[in-house]
Amino acid sequence: MANTEIISSLLTRQDTWRGRNLRLPRRTLGTGHNSLDLLLQGGWPTAALTELLPRRLGIGELSLLLPIVKEQSSSNQLCLWLDPPYQPYAPRLAAAGIALDRLLIVRSKNPTEWLWVAEQSIRNGALLLAWSGEQHLRYTDLRKLQLAAADSSRAAFLFSSIKTLTDPSPAALRLELDSQSVNQLQLTVRKLRGKAPGDRLELNLDHNSTQRIALNQLPTGQHHAYGSISASGSGN
Amino acid sequence: MASSSKRQEIWLYLQFPLLSLETLLPQLTPEQQSKPIAVIGHQKNVQQVLCCNSQASAWGVGKQLSLSTALALCPELLTLSRRAEQEQERLQQLALLAYSFSPEVIIHKELGLWLEISGCDRLFKGYDALLCELQNKLQQQGITAVNGLAENPLAARLLCKPSFQTHLPSSQQIQQSLQGTALYKLETSRKQQQSFKQLGLTSLADLLALPRSALSERFDAELMATIQQLNNQRPFTATRFQPPSSFYDLIHNPQGIFNKESLLFPMKTLLQRLCQYMIARQCHCLEMHWRFEPLIGESKQMSIRLSSSQNSWSMLLNLSRLQLERQELPRSIEQIILYADQFIEAPAGMFNLDLFGEQTDNRSSSDLIDSLNARLGAEALFQPVLKQENLPEQAGTLGLANQQTTTATQIDVSYGKQTPQPLWLLDKPVPVQIRNQQLYWHRPLKLISGPQRLCGNWWQNEQQRDYYLACDSKGARYWLFREAMDRRWFVHGLFA
Repeated sequence: MANTEIISSLLTRQDTWRGRNLRLPRRTLGTGHNSLDLLLQGGWPTAALTELLPRRLGIGELSLLLPIVKEQSSSNQLCLWLDPPYQPYAPRLAAAGIALDRLLIVRSKNPTEWLWVAEQSIRNGALLLAWSGEQHLRYTDLRKLQLAAADSSRAAFLFSSIKTLTDPSPAALRLELDSQSVNQLQLTVRKLRGKAPGDRLELNLDHNSTQRIALNQLPTGQHHAYGSISASGSGN
Repeated sequence: MASSSKRQEIWLYLQFPLLSLETLLPQLTPEQQSKPIAVIGHQKNVQQVLCCNSQASAWGVGKQLSLSTALALCPELLTLSRRAEQEQERLQQLALLAYSFSPEVIIHKELGLWLEISGCDRLFKGYDALLCELQNKLQQQGITAVNGLAENPLAARLLCKPSFQTHLPSSQQIQQSLQGTALYKLETSRKQQQSFKQLGLTSLADLLALPRSALSERFDAELMATIQQLNNQRPFTATRFQPPSSFYDLIHNPQGIFNKESLLFPMKTLLQRLCQYMIARQCHCLEMHWRFEPLIGESKQMSIRLSSSQNSWSMLLNLSRLQLERQELPRSIEQIILYADQFIEAPAGMFNLDLFGEQTDNRSSSDLIDSLNARLGAEALFQPVLKQENLPEQAGTLGLANQQTTTATQIDVSYGKQTPQPLWLLDKPVPVQIRNQQLYWHRPLKLISGPQRLCGNWWQNEQQRDYYLACDSKGARYWLFREAMDRRWFVHGLFA
């Protein structure tokens, strides 16, 4: 008798995967890139922790999340960046249409504080972008964040070091980010609930900056009072 | 009630017979509180019992006994001397409590309050429910109260019963009991009382039965005014109570508090009083200050700023607790003070009627900011600030989150859409080496677009920089610049 009770209680859980349906009914947030939505079966999972593991900094790992940050700020909700590795550059964020007053940057002093802030922000409905930096997060810590995200039905993003790729993680989605050439972001799904890992996607981060700006086409704005000077001997 | 066109007033008089004792009780230990206690006051150079608790009455101690008699009756009587200022402060607090029941509250110096409660019944679903609620609230505060109800303030005071009535008597009942009231209860001169006796008048009915013209001949104008008031012919002109413009309250604990956990209970009490005050004034608090005073040594201050309006004591307690964790407190705390003087009017929509509940989201984000502030301190929270400057390190900075700098001037950001700008800015530009005639930072770099010239600081040491977009062989993109003067290269940002 007891066994059937356990089974029926398990079946009522939303996250129990049954062989019949190959896909869980999940709620997702659009990533802003159609091909990525397709890869992630709809978009970024809400009510779950997403772990992003960039191989290097500067390959476009944060640009990937700008659409969702913009959406959050336009709906007047708080977006909290916990321990970003560098200073976010305000003009770039403003140009991307993000309301700066809805952005909060928090610097923690120790791992306990880091974890507390992360959990509080998820539970209070803010969009969390956290950078774990050099600190080593235990599985239980990550599980806390995952549970907080599940409880509050919020998406939460964690940038972890690539060194933790082999460690187990409770995150619903783990994405490895790499790049071989400029503006080509290579995404590899390392873990996604309801899907086998290993899928790969080349994402073209379509920036104006990919085109080389000819010198005579440079905007002659206020910054160019002195006119443009050719970049001689610059090594390209 | 009377069916006159003018609304019939209903006055409630609250009397606090044990207030002198009850203001002093919280400062005693539970062990002391269970003993027979009496409060002693001076009256005509004689020390008299003003009021005593039930344990003392069981020994036969009663009001107006002299101190020596009381001690003779009950040798283990604990005597406290009266603190008139503390009593009046407590009375003010009770007036604030009463203010949440009726907008018209009058303080009676002799430890009583008048409330005009007509028209307040709908909020509480009936007068009886209002009286029950009031009784509950007073009991929660540890206050013994008795009351009287009538159509005018004076009659309400005269009809004060020895217990708390929770039922509104009818107009007839009020008139009847008023008629039967003994005349010695009237506040009149001794001479007047004597003439009552000489005339053989004992109750109010006897007095009122006399013709009015005869009364004015026999008695002074004061009594006539009293009679007019009793007959609702003269308005009651005492000043109405208004809540003060700032909140200041303290809890005194002579035993001393030695750890943070036990601080929370008195803090909770103070915050509940603050919330009561804010509800009465219909305002929200912007900043509150705690002060913890030890017996010896320096007191400790702690201020809590609130980013948005907060009105629930549990939330305020939570924030105070978070900040308290970071504080070094004196070893033993004797007095806790809560002070607040910055308030804003409560927003009109205090009740969340929004169908889609967007307001709750906003609330929780300000709750989050407040709790982060309390736990980490304001110096850990930042916000990107945009400025109309040319040099990147001046155009985009991080400011403390609480300063709420509302830059009214619209800053043109369209320029950033045309030219590449990085997401990360390095705190300081990092010099780039040149190896084999190639720029080198971690890996060899290649320039892919640029330059874009940015100039700044022309008034002090002029800087001219040519910004380039560079990438390394692995696809990471950087924002480089070369100083126009000395032709050195720096990395200034990352295109994350």
